[in-house]
Amino acid sequence: MSQIPSDRLMAFADGQLPEAERADIEAHLAANPDSAAEVAAWQRQSDALRTLFAPAGAEPVPARLRPRRIAAELGRRRTRSFGWAAAAIVLVGLGLGAGWFARPLFDAEPPSQYLIADAINAHTVFVAENRHAVEVPGSDSEHLSSWLSNRLDTNLGMPDLSAEGFTLVGGRLLPGEPSRGGRAAQLMYENAAKQRITVYVTAALPDRAPAYQFASYEGAEAFYWANARITCTVVGTLPEADMKTVSRAVYQQLTEGDVAWVDRG
Amino acid sequence: MQDFLDQVEACVPALRRYARALTRNIDLADDLVQDCLERAISRRGLFRPSGEVRAWLFTILVNLHRNGLRTTRRQGALVAMDAVSEPAMPAPQPGHIALAEMARAIETLPLEQKEAILLVALEGLAYSEAAGILNIPLGTLMSRLGRARSALRLATGNPAEPHLRTVK
Repeated sequence: MSQIPSDRLMAFADGQLPEAERADIEAHLAANPDSAAEVAAWQRQSDALRTLFAPAGAEPVPARLRPRRIAAELGRRRTRSFGWAAAAIVLVGLGLGAGWFARPLFDAEPPSQYLIADAINAHTVFVAENRHAVEVPGSDSEHLSSWLSNRLDTNLGMPDLSAEGFTLVGGRLLPGEPSRGGRAAQLMYENAAKQRITVYVTAALPDRAPAYQFASYEGAEAFYWANARITCTVVGTLPEADMKTVSRAVYQQLTEGDVAWVDRG
Repeated sequence: MQDFLDQVEACVPALRRYARALTRNIDLADDLVQDCLERAISRRGLFRPSGEVRAWLFTILVNLHRNGLRTTRRQGALVAMDAVSEPAMPAPQPGHIALAEMARAIETLPLEQKEAILLVALEGLAYSEAAGILNIPLGTLMSRLGRARSALRLATGNPAEPHLRTVK
């Protein structure tokens, strides 16, 4: 009895054997009922499987399984996702732009920068005035003092700078940043050489922290300090040593000795 | 491109049939086919025109089915599948193998054997094509088919002597 590999029998059962080889197998099966029975069993298995599942392939195809519909849907989805991507890019761009333009809001510039800048501006504007350099003349220093003290909501005495050769010209009330009290007082002093300095005072900053700073801007020197009661900026165009001397005198009188003068620079 | 979609469309009934046999669940099967078609159509650029669309689609379907099973197993939520209802049309050789028995038997096969026997016996694919779809050597395919057929014979109750079950 010849032996046929079961792979070849299976290929015969599945109809996958070349025509030329079939005769051999048929002869073999005729002589071997067991092999023939096995082949028949395999074929019945295949028949059963086809009978079971062929109907699934004959059912009408639901719309969602139509390739053209799927292709169209995919195209729409792609367009939509492109739209979302474009929208996302636009939003990110807007965010970046807004962030860029909002930088000044977020930059943690110390308030002293603004106060010094305001003080220098005010100095530059009013020292150039002759008839209207001040609002209230220094001759009425008592009224000036009580008026500005009331407006700034702090006790503001007029520093006496006669020892430094300066006399009080007068003072005025200036608008200021709402977040920093909304008001500032400017006092103007003048020496015999008609050189002027101004003292720019605001109520204390919210943090009431002591601070101390020198700044120089377009030829003007500014000496700034802050304490729990006020901020003060002395501005002038004197030589630095003279500015220091004047500033120390202002500081000592306005802080009423609550902070020791620190000689810097 | 229309040509490609036509070729895909021609394969849909076979894909549904094969998916139904794999999953034994009409909704799961059609979901599987839909996933398969979406993937194929969205990636049609990857299709090599030298190959056959049908084999390519079957490859995608088989892989999606395996991935789906893996996910289901991970989620630990295997859905109990209803037995396939008896088809209305009578079996061509009634009595040889009870169809319900076969339906249960095919369910007991390991997946790799089930994939193989269904490609060959149900879909009538050439061995080489089936081996290509399953990405296995021809010899491996033949041994899977052999084991599947032995198991089916055991499960359908005529292990040694098929003639005993032959009626008429």
